[in-house]
Parts: sequence; structure tokens; C-alpha cells
Amino acid sequence: MSIWESLRTAWQSIFANKLRSSLTMLGIVIGVCAVVLLVALGQGFQTSMTKTFNDMGASALYISSAPSKTVVGGIRPLTNEDVTALQDKNLVPAVSVVSPTRTNRGTASYGNNNASESLMGIMPVITKIRNYKMDQGRFLTDQDVTNRANVVVLGWQAEIDLFGAQAPGTTSPIGTYIRISGMKFQVVGTCQKFGGFAGDSYILMPLTTMQSKITGGDVVQQIGILASKPDQVDTAIAQVTAVLRARHFIRTVAGAADDFSITDMRETLNSMEATLAAFSLFMGAVGAISLIVGGIGIMNIMLVSVTERTREIGIRKAIGARRRDILIQFLIEAAALSLTGGLIGLGLAVGVAHAMGQITLGQTQVTPEISYSIVFIALGVSIGTGLLSGTYPAFRAGGLDPIESLRHE
Amino acid sequence: MTMIELTNLTKIYDTGELKVTGLDDISFKCDEGEMVSIMGHSGSGKSTMMNIIGCLDRPTSGTYHLDGVDVASLNDDQLAKIRNAKLGFVFQSYNLLPKISAQQNVALPLIYSGENHRQQRSMAALEAVGIAVRAKHLPSEMSGGEKQRVAIARALINNPKVILADEPTGNLDTATSHSIMSLFTELHKKGITIVIVTHEEDIASYTQRTIYVRDGKIIEEKKR
Ligand SMILES: Nc1ncnc2c1ncn2[C@@H]1O[C@H](COP(=O)(O)OP(=O)(O)OP(=O)(O)O)[C@@H](O)[C@H]1O
Ligand SMILES: [Mg+2]
Repeated sequence: MSIWESLRTAWQSIFANKLRSSLTMLGIVIGVCAVVLLVALGQGFQTSMTKTFNDMGASALYISSAPSKTVVGGIRPLTNEDVTALQDKNLVPAVSVVSPTRTNRGTASYGNNNASESLMGIMPVITKIRNYKMDQGRFLTDQDVTNRANVVVLGWQAEIDLFGAQAPGTTSPIGTYIRISGMKFQVVGTCQKFGGFAGDSYILMPLTTMQSKITGGDVVQQIGILASKPDQVDTAIAQVTAVLRARHFIRTVAGAADDFSITDMRETLNSMEATLAAFSLFMGAVGAISLIVGGIGIMNIMLVSVTERTREIGIRKAIGARRRDILIQFLIEAAALSLTGGLIGLGLAVGVAHAMGQITLGQTQVTPEISYSIVFIALGVSIGTGLLSGTYPAFRAGGLDPIESLRHE
Repeated sequence: MTMIELTNLTKIYDTGELKVTGLDDISFKCDEGEMVSIMGHSGSGKSTMMNIIGCLDRPTSGTYHLDGVDVASLNDDQLAKIRNAKLGFVFQSYNLLPKISAQQNVALPLIYSGENHRQQRSMAALEAVGIAVRAKHLPSEMSGGEKQRVAIARALINNPKVILADEPTGNLDTATSHSIMSLFTELHKKGITIVIVTHEEDIASYTQRTIYVRDGKIIEEKKR
């Protein structure tokens, strides 16, 4: 008996018992649907997190002053001179980008609108670390920095706070003046939304403007750096540490702590990925349990089916079916039942994922992603479940004695 | 040439505490192209004998040669092949699969022999037994006589050498029984060996030879 014939026979019998077949499939349908949806959500979540992280500059290292209590003998803050030292290619060859920032909360106003925003003094080189996408206008330039110009670039939320949510094409904020700390600043650009936990309530201005007109002093709060090559990160950390310790007069003997810290975002990323992996494992376990339940359902029905069809088996054997023909027929029937359930479950999952579209999980926008690998795994697993749970009933069917089967009522 | 040869054949059913003798040292010969009937009271061992001749069951002792082959030497798969290719079964209760059409029932043995042209061949077999008009019907939509014709068509589909019919007219009225027997007679004329179990003398009278069985033994043989 060919596989094709076995498939046809399996279909005949599945269709002949529509209600029973559908109920049997239900377990697999639910199992596969759940697994596919959960995995799709997990993948969507991961994609969204990874994107946000990369936009924020996850590949960068961030140097900031240590919390004051941890260091004996006081802390020297990071200054413009530290920045200049780090820009020296002879001192820190493993560092390619140095991006100092000074952040301050402040109130900005336009007309009657007041908004508390995060004011960030930056250097244009920050775009090599963070992925600012311009909505309108331009980004800050070296010229702005040199001139200590009163120019700002607005984050997506800051723009809404000050200018309201405008329909596209209406009056642009570019060129208008907003007030910060009693001074007028011209808006030269607006940014697109970052979304996620990155936040969009920020106003960017040249670091020089920030230091001279708002905070005073030459202190920088944070210095973002990029290693010249991905495998140079550890070297870069060592070189930066050496330069800053020397500049901050920290003795090189053991026990003297740094008065600054270097945060490596990769660690955060790794721990986040580990969390996600554990989450996926958990979801996989939930799916596996429902598939096991579905498989037991199939085995149960197949056993009933073997008993019910004992006479049919006897007839088939009398007209020349071998043990293996009967065995394969029942195996294929179980696999076809399960695969059909899997296909329906997959279809349901795709439909639900489509209907959900983009959903918000916490602060993250997640679009479920159904990849080919999930599809193949889901279908493979459903066929496997069918074969596995069909094995015992199929062997029972194949081993039946033809005469006793024929006598069966 | 001898088609069926049972020699000192015994079948004992072992039901645990008690052993039932189905066949008791039977010897029986049937030539190729012969049409034989087996008669006897209920429980005398007729079906037991048919099951062994039909390679559905194995004897406890003794030998059985079918078409010159010692059946004891064959494994289960080889027996299945013989049932498929050399033998055709007709049962009292028809034994058609209820959920598929007459034609699909007739084509069933072809599936196991891997034959092609199943459509044409099953249709031809239905025509040969005069029931082609019922090809698309389910067994539940046919009369007993029609079902038995479908069953005979199924038995014929692989051009068997032997047809074994265990009380083929047991569920049919007299007129239908006779038309079924005429059909067997036709097949016999084409050279097929036929063994029929029956309780009725006038059914047995269609055959060339009748053997009488009692308590698992052949007690009498009548030639016509
Ligand atoms: N599977 C079995 N297990 C135990 N005993 C059996 C089995 N099959 C048949 N027998 C016994 O063997 C004997 C012969 O049975 P068999 O079915 O051959 O009779 P039969 O001549 O075909 O009767 P009937 O005319 O009623 O069909 C009976 O005593 C029966 O009880
Ligand atoms: Mg009987």
C-alpha cells in the first residue's frame, strides 16, 4: 500500500467521523496556537527591545562620576579637560568616539505652554552613538558648539508638549523661539519618536551653551565612548581607566577605588536576553504541556477507533493487508489528524497575531513575529505528536488476529 | 492438478481451561477448477476448515498445501500476499466497509497489491457480477443480494485461483440465493476453484461434490 493510498484512507476515516475528529484535534489546535502566539510575542518583544537598545547606543560605554559616598577623599568630577584627554588618540587608541553630555532638568515654555523637559548639552558626535532621526530641520552642528549658539533640537514628546500635537503640514516649529531659564532659544530641528523606555521628553542644545549659560562650570555628567573595534572594548575600558585615574590623581596602588564608573551596556543587554530566554523556555513548557495533553487525546481516540474498527481491520487483513499496512494506516491517520490540528492552530495564531497588530507591553511596542522557523517547528511538532501518540494504537491494530477481528461485532 | 490438499489436519482451540477441537485429523483434496461444498451441523468445524484453507488461521498439526505450496513454511506477510492474490473471500455477512462506496470496496484488494487502473478494473468487476449501476452506492443503500454481488466482485478483482464462500446465501431469500449460485456456477465454468459452505441441500446441489462434516471429521462425501 502506497503512502498516497494510506493518506487517502486516513482522510476518508477522518472525514467519516467529523465531530470526533474535530474534538480530537482541539487539544493540538489549542497547543499549537498557544505555542506559536507566545513564541511570536517573545520574538516581537526581543526585536523591539533590541532596536530600542541599539537606537539608544547599546554598543557604547558610558563613563560617569561614582556616587560620592563610595570614594574616600572626595571625587573629582568629569570635566571638559578629561574629555580632551580621552580624545587624544595617543593616550587612548582603542577609543574612536567621545561624546560628553551634561543633562539638567528644566522648564521650557512656548506661548502659554510650559513643560518640564530633560535638557541635554551634547556634542554633534553623539549621533555616532545614539540614533537620532530628524523629523524636521537639522541636527546641532560643530558651528553651534563653537558659537555657543542658543539653538535647540526637540524630542518628539517635547515638541508635542510645547507646540501641541499638530496635524502634519501645519505650521512648523522650526525657526520659532522657545524660552528656557529666561533665555530665548531657536528651534532648529525636531526628532522622530524613539518609543519604548528611551523616552522622548528631551531638548538638545550644544554642550558649550549648556555649560556657559545654564549650569555654569566645565563639568560634564556623562561621557559616552565607542571602542574603535568591537573586540577592543576591554582594551578601551583599560585605557580610559588608566587615563582618568592619572588625571584624577588616584594612586596606582591596589585598594584605591576609581572615582568614576564605566557602564558597559552589553551586560545589560546580555542579562535582558537571558531573561527573555528564560521567559521563552517557560512559554515553551506551557506549550509542551498542552501538546502532551493533545497527544494523549489523540492516543485515546485512536485506541477507541481501533476497537471500533476491529471488524474493518479484519476485513482488510482478509483481503491482503499486511500487519505493516494496517500499522501505517493508523499511524498516518494519527499524524494527519494532528497535522490538521496543527495547521488550524497555526492559522488561528496567524489570524490572532494579525488582529492584534502592534500591542503595548509595559512601555514597549510589540508586533508578534511569526517566522518560518516557528511555522516549521509547529508543524513538525504536531506531526511528531501524532506519530508518537499513534504508535501504540497502531501497533495494537496491526497485531490484531484476522479471524477474531472478523468475528468482532 | 491438486489445488487444495489438507493432510491429517487438526485444529485445537486452546481457550485456557478447556481445549476445543475444531478439526480432528481431517484429510481433504480439491482439484483445480473444482466446485465443492461443505455441509454439516452448526459447530461441526466448517468455518474452522475454511479459515485454514483461506490462510487466515494456522492448523495445530498436519499439513496444508495450496497450489503446491506448503503454507506452514510461509510467514504472515507471505500469507497476506496469498490471500490478496490467490484467494477470494465471500462471507455470510458480506463484510463490506460501510463508509465507502461499492466501487471503492471492490477496489480495496488492488490497493494492497499496488495495482493501477483501479477505477476501470473495479468497474469491470462490478459489471461482471451485474451490479455496475450500484457502483456509487454505500453498502447501507443496497439489498442483501446486491451487497453479496459486490462482495463477490471484490473477491474476483485480483483474478484469484480459489474462491472461498462461507455460507454466502445464509442471509438471502431463496430466489436471490439461486441467482448468487448461478453466478458462482459461471465463475466455476471460467475455471476458478470454488469452495462453498452451506446448510442447504439445494445450494449444495449446484456443486460437483459435497463433503459432510461432524465434530471436526469428514463423515461422508457425495459426488454429483
Ligand atoms: N476462536 C475460537 N475459540 C474457541 N473455540 C472455537 C473458536 N472458533 C470455533 N470454535 C469452536 O470450534 C468448533 C467449530 O466451530 P466452527 O465455527 O468451525 O463451526 P461451523 O461448522 O462453522 O458452525 P456454523 O454452522 O454455526 O457456522 C465449535 O465447537 C466452536 O465452538
Ligand atoms: Mg461457520
